[in-house]
Amino acid sequence: MSAMRWVTAALLTVVLGGAAIARDTTLDLVEPIAEYKIYVTEKLDKLVEDTKIFTDAVKAGDVAKAKALFAPTRLSYEAIEPIAELFSDLDQAIDSRADDHEKGEADPGFTGFHRIEYGLWVKNSTAELVPFADKLMNDVTELRKRITDLALPPEKVVGGAAVLMEEVAATKISGEEDRYSHTDLWDFRGNFDGAYKIVELVRPLIAEKEAEFVKKVEANFARVNAILDKYKEGAGYMSYEKLTEADRKVLAVAVNTLAEDLSTLRAKLGLD
Amino acid sequence: MAKRPDPTKADTAMDSRRRTILKALGLAGAMCPFSGMTLAEEPAKPAKSGHVTDAPVANAASSDDKVPVYGPHQAGITTARPANGMIASFDVVADTPDDLERLLRKLTERIAFLATGGPVAELDPRLPPPDSGIVGPVVRPDALTITASLGASLFEDRPWLAPLRPKQLTRMTRFPNDALDRQICHGDLALQICANTQDTTIHALRDIIKNCPGQLVLKWKQEGNVPAILPGPDGMVESARNFLGFRDGSANPNAGDEALMNRLVWVGADRGEPDWAAGGSYQVVRIIRNFVERWDRTPLGEQERIMGRVKTSGAPLDKRDGHEFQAPDYGSDPEGKLTPLDAHIRLANPRTAETEDNLILRRPFNYSNGVTKSGQLDQGLLFICYQADLERGFVTVQRRLDGEPLEEYIKPVGGGFFYTLPGIRDASDYLGSSLVAAVRARASQPMPG
Repeated sequence: MSAMRWVTAALLTVVLGGAAIARDTTLDLVEPIAEYKIYVTEKLDKLVEDTKIFTDAVKAGDVAKAKALFAPTRLSYEAIEPIAELFSDLDQAIDSRADDHEKGEADPGFTGFHRIEYGLWVKNSTAELVPFADKLMNDVTELRKRITDLALPPEKVVGGAAVLMEEVAATKISGEEDRYSHTDLWDFRGNFDGAYKIVELVRPLIAEKEAEFVKKVEANFARVNAILDKYKEGAGYMSYEKLTEADRKVLAVAVNTLAEDLSTLRAKLGLD
Repeated sequence: MAKRPDPTKADTAMDSRRRTILKALGLAGAMCPFSGMTLAEEPAKPAKSGHVTDAPVANAASSDDKVPVYGPHQAGITTARPANGMIASFDVVADTPDDLERLLRKLTERIAFLATGGPVAELDPRLPPPDSGIVGPVVRPDALTITASLGASLFEDRPWLAPLRPKQLTRMTRFPNDALDRQICHGDLALQICANTQDTTIHALRDIIKNCPGQLVLKWKQEGNVPAILPGPDGMVESARNFLGFRDGSANPNAGDEALMNRLVWVGADRGEPDWAAGGSYQVVRIIRNFVERWDRTPLGEQERIMGRVKTSGAPLDKRDGHEFQAPDYGSDPEGKLTPLDAHIRLANPRTAETEDNLILRRPFNYSNGVTKSGQLDQGLLFICYQADLERGFVTVQRRLDGEPLEEYIKPVGGGFFYTLPGIRDASDYLGSSLVAAVRARASQPMPG
């Protein structure tokens, strides 16, 4: 390390009150990133597999079965959303909401999970849904193909933990994501699992230097888990409408605090 | 020098009264006499009267204007109203007295920094910046005040806090003309944020949100502003106009009159309130939509009869050639031939000895939000007032106004009742310290029986 860099490090230590920022840890990230790639691949395989059964149920006109499979199928997608979002065309096609489109539910650009959700819950019918089911199946298959060929950028992986929390904070805590089915708590499960996976993989790199930070982050994940656990039902979660106002507030502050804290994770790992 | 009589007194008592005030103001130098606000520049600026609803003086505001943070009462109540104001309402997550103390100390720290100004910390560029940067690397005070008030829900939802609720603090009740939207009502904590510029109020709000993510959830906010106007040739500072085009606040009590404020605004020891509440005040916030298109299609004479004032000058209708600060003489007009009996200002303040106790200190801002689904302007008044007695103050005044002709043109849609915490005494104190101490004192008492 050059003298100049020592000076910089010393200055940073002063500015941050002892929380020195890691330098040259990019190499240390090779292993966590490789492991994360495996995690993403597994999630994508599961997504493709589940989507096949889900869309088959839609095409077979089995409304009840399709409704039961909607939320669990999305879990895998929600866990790796920051990576899926690297392909914005596919993310739009798979997971956009009616209000992302000028003509709302009637907009021809409104496709994917939420278009099918709209048909199943609002129309209580699979009529008209067959083309959307076929398209969804094609889109998730294409997503898996593209991500398989992709070298994951470290800053996107590490930054993904914060991105997941930002998404929950900005557009999910209100219950607008799964507005027809109210299965939002399933999505939260996927988002939190995906964020926690990233933290878990990089934790050994900062556990010593950032013990307080790690402790605080773990505590907020625990807070979130405790709330989600209260709403468990069978293999999944109750309707978002069952969430009490008090629990919604605690979820909101835990998510906002995680978003603030995880926004520093990249820097703590020496990433730009 | 702003000249205005105390509108709480009858005309006869006014001349001597005005002389007293003018004398008290002196030929004020650099200090605002009633707010303690330090003017940034040379005393060439017109000095302010003690009326918080005077329009901000055009070209007089400076980003270096500083309102002291410490004192027996919070800033932002008897402080001269700057051009921009906002109410932000939050849900609070605080399960224990320690949680509450941590939040109040953090708020105090942020308020002290923001209202004083200074450079923001520089961090490694790989980290998110500690400050939004929207006012640049050096924060200027810009006459910023942040006034913190608590809602009834904060007390009611916490058994350890419930016994200490100010006795008149309830969830805002619905009045007959209200159409309350729950999305913009109530809250555990209301922050009134005022400053010369909107950027400063927004910067302050973003700073607080960023610094308190673990305890505050933003519930709603409403911003507003008031026009700055040049003083008249005689130095008179006029009351700002609302979005109905009328001057608003002409009859506001004189915030520079300490005895009057002690009687009308500040909760003292004699009110049967919990001891911790001394030095605080009841705050009422009302988001009152104005149907401005309809108002603009109403004949001028009718507008004036509805309000009870001449639209151009603000003079009372029985003194058409007078000015806004002259008191109407309702005694000589018992049938309402000049000022209709149901005119807004006559109902709000009948100017009788019995209604003296109902005076409230108003500090409103105009708001303009956008367009309704019907293609009309969503504009109105962010009404804010302070009083020592909620029932005798706002609630009584509003009951008198219920059914007034003005209701056809206005619709209260949001707001809340809050209790404004006592002041931060000095740099070693923090907001609400007396409340936290009272909670701790109760906890250490043996249970009765």
